[in-house]
Amino acid sequence: MNHAHVLSRLVPARMPSVLPGFGLTMGLTLTWLSLIILIPLAGVFIRTTGLGWDAFVTLATDPRTLAALRLSFSAALAAAAINTIFGFLVAWVLVRYDFPGRKIVDAAIDLPFALPTAVAGLALTAIYAPNGWIGALLDPFGIKIAYTSAGVVVALVFIGLPFVVRTVQPVLADFDKDLEEASATLGATRLQTVHRVLFPALMPPLLTGFALAFARGVGEYGSIIFIAGNIPYRSEIAPLLIVIRLEEYNYAAATAVAAVMLVLSFVLLLVINLLQGWNRRRTGFSD
Amino acid sequence: MLTDSSDINTPRRHVPTAPFETPISESRLIKWLLTGAALAFLGLILVLPLASVFTEAFRTGVTPFLSALAAPDALSAIRLTLIVAAISVPANLIFGLVASWAIAKFEFKGKSFLITLIDLPFSVSPVISGLVFILLFGSFGYFGPWLVAHHIQIVFALPGIVLATIFVTFPFVARQLIPLMEAQGTGDEEAALSLGASGFQTFWKVTLPNVKWALLYGVLLCNARAMGEFGAVSVVSGHIRGQTNTMPLHVEILYNEYNFVAAFAVAALLAFLALITLILKSLLEWRYGGELAASRRH
Amino acid sequence: MNWPRAAATEPHRDRDERRARQAPVRIDVEELGKSYGGFAALDNISLSVRPGELLALLGPSGSGKTTLLRAIAGLTSTEQGTIRFDGEDATSLSLRDRRVGFVFQQYALFRHMSVFENIAFGLRVRPRRERPRAGEIERRVKRLLELVQLQGLEDRYPSQISGGQKQRVALARALAIEPRVLLLDEPFGALDAKVRKELRRWLRELHTETGLTTIFVTHDQEEALELADRVVIMREGRIEQIDTPADLYREPATPYVCEFLGGVARFDVNAKNGEAEVLGGTFPLEQMDYSGPAIAYVRTHDIEIVGREAAEGVPALVRSARPFGPTITIELSIEGRRERIEAEVPRELYESGEVSLGHGVFVRATSAWIFPTG
Repeated sequence: MNHAHVLSRLVPARMPSVLPGFGLTMGLTLTWLSLIILIPLAGVFIRTTGLGWDAFVTLATDPRTLAALRLSFSAALAAAAINTIFGFLVAWVLVRYDFPGRKIVDAAIDLPFALPTAVAGLALTAIYAPNGWIGALLDPFGIKIAYTSAGVVVALVFIGLPFVVRTVQPVLADFDKDLEEASATLGATRLQTVHRVLFPALMPPLLTGFALAFARGVGEYGSIIFIAGNIPYRSEIAPLLIVIRLEEYNYAAATAVAAVMLVLSFVLLLVINLLQGWNRRRTGFSD
Repeated sequence: MLTDSSDINTPRRHVPTAPFETPISESRLIKWLLTGAALAFLGLILVLPLASVFTEAFRTGVTPFLSALAAPDALSAIRLTLIVAAISVPANLIFGLVASWAIAKFEFKGKSFLITLIDLPFSVSPVISGLVFILLFGSFGYFGPWLVAHHIQIVFALPGIVLATIFVTFPFVARQLIPLMEAQGTGDEEAALSLGASGFQTFWKVTLPNVKWALLYGVLLCNARAMGEFGAVSVVSGHIRGQTNTMPLHVEILYNEYNFVAAFAVAALLAFLALITLILKSLLEWRYGGELAASRRH
Repeated sequence: MNWPRAAATEPHRDRDERRARQAPVRIDVEELGKSYGGFAALDNISLSVRPGELLALLGPSGSGKTTLLRAIAGLTSTEQGTIRFDGEDATSLSLRDRRVGFVFQQYALFRHMSVFENIAFGLRVRPRRERPRAGEIERRVKRLLELVQLQGLEDRYPSQISGGQKQRVALARALAIEPRVLLLDEPFGALDAKVRKELRRWLRELHTETGLTTIFVTHDQEEALELADRVVIMREGRIEQIDTPADLYREPATPYVCEFLGGVARFDVNAKNGEAEVLGGTFPLEQMDYSGPAIAYVRTHDIEIVGREAAEGVPALVRSARPFGPTITIELSIEGRRERIEAEVPRELYESGEVSLGHGVFVRATSAWIFPTG
């Protein structure tokens, strides 16, 4: 299969191997990847560059676009922050303490992964609507969650929860108890031990979890459009704006927003990756 | 089953089960408070939504629930969801196996870059995942005119939905298999080859059985996402009732029509599937946790 | 190493503490008991550690030695019994108040802190009132680094230093808090043989210099016998014997101790009126009027080759010989006994042909320990 041979020559510096099939499988893999992922994604950027820089900037800085981007990113940030704090708490309790049903609770953490986003959105709306279980409790105080940006944050907290918990759990579980004992024998209080010994080790997974939850939250669509209200400039998230532009057959605007989202997410993730690397070097721990 | 800590032959690992009665843990009160706070948070964020789905679905009784599911549009949505899953999951299964063989069993430069590429769909918003196919195959897309000329419909039809679903569920199987296969190394395969097995035989009889539980796990996750995907499918589907609506999309349509009981009925069915997924997932983890642990370090 | 001088006026408690610090501490363990489920990790343990003594807790896995050490440290709680430091009940004291220096087998250094920060840790976490000023902390840490001979390494991280160096940092860290007692849990277990030997010698010197009451746990009997002032042999949660290494070697108290120290051959014999015969010699038991089944242990170099002819002793056949070194170890088989026994013969005897492979000789025991069975 010439195709595979050519491709395997393109992949440089491979050590000779006893096992067969490299050419074939690598060829298939690269082909598949290109067809399904690379070319479609490239399409976005090619489309965007086709617009011309000025047109792109106009579309990207459109007030409605900016409002949508601002909402998506700030809500994702807030939700990721909340998840970092509570996710750490949950991970701590699951790893360190025992209580009836702990294993079931542990399994339930993955619910946001398994549940379709539309179902989550629907359920959250039902609960936080003014006549819902929680909404009804808060309504007398004038606190509205459904159909506001607060609702967006709540939905993203649901979506992002497992990321933080699952990245912190293994590190906490593997943490060498000797270190805590050493700290105690040296005279540290429990709080001092948690602060000076445990926390530095947990910082990398916390940051990682935060980054993952944040990235997920920025692009989330299904669970938000039910609960958000979707009012332009107020509670409209960026992905929804893309959909609306598509429905208007305004491909240009849609791609512009998408491109901005991709670039911003990429930059932010890069920053967080650098942060992690710095933290790793400083604390001497590796993920 | 506590081990005497003077046993030097047992590697000291922190076993995260019942708390040890040592002076290096928190006071009882603090433990209670923290546990309570964590459980309250989880109850609010996780349990309440799940409970409400079922509560609302059965609010007016079992009969409306069942008839909502039996409605023609609901049935076709269910059928479509199943068809899409039946195509995308095997496709990604095969890809996952092929890719992990290429990546895990050989040494070459650019491995981590390749793995990052495979992981891309995870970091892209579902809406953008659907957008890319509109840009390619939509009426004003690259291939749009060509497709129209040949009367081939991709977007707003089954092919588009399948493509978008394959895109978003692409990494699931590969991500489970690659770390595991890398950890397992090539020893077994080399032994099989030296005994005269062909490449394919080796793969079928040696590699595959070694990874079967991780494979099952990946397929499970892939399937859950394939059936539940909303954003990407929403963009490419066109929302044509009875034809291009998967179950999640149907939920949205029913909701927008204020047909809440029906919306919750379909949602409850999806939630039920999610619970089955969780249970199977947990079972796999509990029984084959060691094997899966290698693959869970993503 | 000089302890810091007291301030001009100091509170009563601090003054008493300082006095206690300056003199090495006596540790009394009284009837200590601890079990896990049905399994007794510590079974009615009582012992006294003399002030300034270097004591070894020796035994196999599961003997309770580490549990005992950790109980003294306050890391493991106990169900019965008391521990006293200089007569003061320590069992009710918290870990923090016991002021015990503990060194772990795997060092337990804080990876995200430098060597300096590790050693300074104990001083920095003190309550504000007791915390020395930053300059003072620096001074003490530097002095400790000199003590453990690691000057210049204060800014390195644990991942950048060797195993032996890590263990010395761990020791310095434990000493920084001016502990009353120093406890070490298999301190050299994770190191390779050469480093182990060096550190052993070094620990002995350190102990002499600090004068602290020190207890260490080991399963390596060579280490225990070489280092310690006294050795505690433990088994299944109980103490078999406490003695100086010399006394242990000369007079093992129980069959277990004999077997544990090794280098012996075991014989089943019959005692009559406090005596028993083994390998051609008659030896007394401690119980002077005991008659009945007994076990006899004979050391390898307490087996004498009498010669080819039957003057005295027991006939034996030479099965193998390891002819290296000044004495030669030979394996003999004796009638009525399946296992071979080892004996050492001077080189000349072997070379002269008195003793040779495949031929018979007569052997006898010059010394043996005999214990009643059961």
